Amino acid sequence: MKTLMTTAALALCASGAMAEDLRMSWWGGDSRHAATQAALEICSEKHGHTVSPEFTGFDGYLEKLTTQMAGGTEADLVQVNWPWLPLFSRNGDGFLDLNTVADTVDLSQWTPEQLAAVTLNGQLNGLPLSTSGRVFFFNMTTLAEAGIDVPTTWDEFYAAAETLRSVNGDDYTLFNAVKETAQLLVTLSVVQKTGKDLVDPETNRVAWTVEELAEGIEFYGHLVEIKAIRSMQEDAAAGNVNLFEKPEWAQGMIAGSYEWDSTYNKYAGPLNEGQVLQAVNPVRFDDAVVDGIYAKPSMFFAISANSEHPQAAAEILNCLLTEAEGIDALGDTRGLPASAVAAARLTESGAIDPNVVAANAIVMSATGPTISPFNEHPEVRGTFIDTLEEYAYGLISAEDAAEIIIEGANDVLGAFDS
Amino acid sequence: MTSRRFLGLGYLAPYIIGLLVFTLVPFLASLYLSFTDYNLMSAPTWTGLENYIDLFTNDRTFRRSLTVTLIYVFTTVPLKLAFALFIAYILNYRLRGINFFRTAFYVPSILGGSIAIAVLWRYIFATNGLVNMGLVGLGFEPVNWFGDPTNALFTITLLRCWQFGSAMVIFLAALQSIDKSLYEAASIDGATKFTSFVFITIPLLTPVIFFNLIMQMVQAFQEFNGPYIITQGGPLKSTYLLPLYIYDEAFKRFDMGYASAIAWVLFVIIMVLTLIAFWSSKKWVFYAGDKRS
Repeated sequence: MKTLMTTAALALCASGAMAEDLRMSWWGGDSRHAATQAALEICSEKHGHTVSPEFTGFDGYLEKLTTQMAGGTEADLVQVNWPWLPLFSRNGDGFLDLNTVADTVDLSQWTPEQLAAVTLNGQLNGLPLSTSGRVFFFNMTTLAEAGIDVPTTWDEFYAAAETLRSVNGDDYTLFNAVKETAQLLVTLSVVQKTGKDLVDPETNRVAWTVEELAEGIEFYGHLVEIKAIRSMQEDAAAGNVNLFEKPEWAQGMIAGSYEWDSTYNKYAGPLNEGQVLQAVNPVRFDDAVVDGIYAKPSMFFAISANSEHPQAAAEILNCLLTEAEGIDALGDTRGLPASAVAAARLTESGAIDPNVVAANAIVMSATGPTISPFNEHPEVRGTFIDTLEEYAYGLISAEDAAEIIIEGANDVLGAFDS
Repeated sequence: MTSRRFLGLGYLAPYIIGLLVFTLVPFLASLYLSFTDYNLMSAPTWTGLENYIDLFTNDRTFRRSLTVTLIYVFTTVPLKLAFALFIAYILNYRLRGINFFRTAFYVPSILGGSIAIAVLWRYIFATNGLVNMGLVGLGFEPVNWFGDPTNALFTITLLRCWQFGSAMVIFLAALQSIDKSLYEAASIDGATKFTSFVFITIPLLTPVIFFNLIMQMVQAFQEFNGPYIITQGGPLKSTYLLPLYIYDEAFKRFDMGYASAIAWVLFVIIMVLTLIAFWSSKKWVFYAGDKRS
């Protein structure tokens, strides 16, 4: 204990900083909680500060952070989901501008593109933790048993869906697509055909035409029609259970999905023994302009604009993301790190699951437009999913659905006009 | 005397402070916010009646949610009260092991509000859940409970009705307080069990029915856990009760002003229906010592 206190005191003298009491908040699962607490303990000791952890699951975190931000009581260091950036930092001043602590934080570990994704009005709002994207996962065991090769085009995908059902029976479906995943499959198809993201960065309005989006919605309808995916009615009837909790997924009766690369283990874990899940290259239309998979900075660490100790918070932030002790302790609990030094160190030491690395490589090599955070604005996403549901239940046509979605999204985007 | 008065106030202080800070202030603040545009991140801006005008003229989701909420309340409350009274009536008999049954029937109310039970409900009514297994076993077709908009609300209603324990206990206490000599006299006069129930039990229970009606109605209007966990308001907003809409507007769309306006509309609806119930109670609620014939 005496040694520990001496080390802390020496570190304190060396850094010339005051010992400060800080708070840090994040969301995650048990492994992330344990790793982050361990990393905070190490970095606190190294820099002579104390950091109180505040952590929860993802559900409810946004509500909690919103309430704290509204009251100016958020933690000194906060983990923020990237799509929330425009919500909390409309003018770029929602979080501390990290350029003001650039002498403490080694910003050279991030590419200019990575930093641009978290910069608003010239103010660097945070540091990206990883680049995450949706990839195609297939249950290779199920496909092999049915004699199906991994589809690379949508025509092959349609044929594979039919083969799977004819070989294994009507209880088998090739793919999963509900709620957000259904929305992102529609998005994928439109992006592949047009090369455009939902939002045009120049005009800050929807870039797609009604016809383009309607075609994407009809693509989704076709997948249901040929029973390549289950209908929304069928999925709701099953109790809206998460895919990885479904017995049909564990048994390989649903043979694939379009999920975040970093969630490989979440989906591979529940599979019955002997079944193999693999991330594969994106399925494409023959006339696709780009791969079009949905890739974005997954989340970032920010320092509160209300923090009384921004310098101390910057020291901890730098330790977590660029110093060996912090990198080793955090590991891959937030995906493959965006910080170059962290990615290199963890990859070299074999600390990152090779399946996650492989899935992330597919994301990083895929072609497509830069994704706007407005894709995940709660109202844009809510309107998209609700309208798609109305189409899926046969209440409206694909054209009407496309018009409603575009109009709703443009209303939201219009509110952000300066 | 003065010190004793302060002592009394001291004892009451925790409640009074709690009431002021956690109920009255948010209550009044939400009234103010309902006339503003407030996204939590910047100061509220006064918009007058705009939120209310939007609610009643432009908001298709609000109309849908209000309709669903009214259907839910007007089916759940009578069903629950009838079921609670029925079970209380049975449990009022002197049967062997009656205390066990009284406890057993109350258990769902202890568990009922919990998330775990809502999750359990989701599995029971799923495609391959217990209920459909039973139906198939009896030779019926399985039912799409959550995927069909007409059935989804019914499953949420059933969950609330299943939690009849608190109303049942109150009915049971009231039943036990009815003077047995009234039934004996009616029996001597040739009354059947049914006529005794209709002309003795029901009139003497009306104060308790009235109490349960108000309490259950207010609770039903505030239902959140069941639809939030089981159906997330779907499909097609068929279980999208107003409290879910308030929550989504406030914490998912960050429109606290609009959410406050919906909350106040909900409050006014509950208040009006409660006042109607109180007004009508003069005609159908009979208290001990009542001189009406």
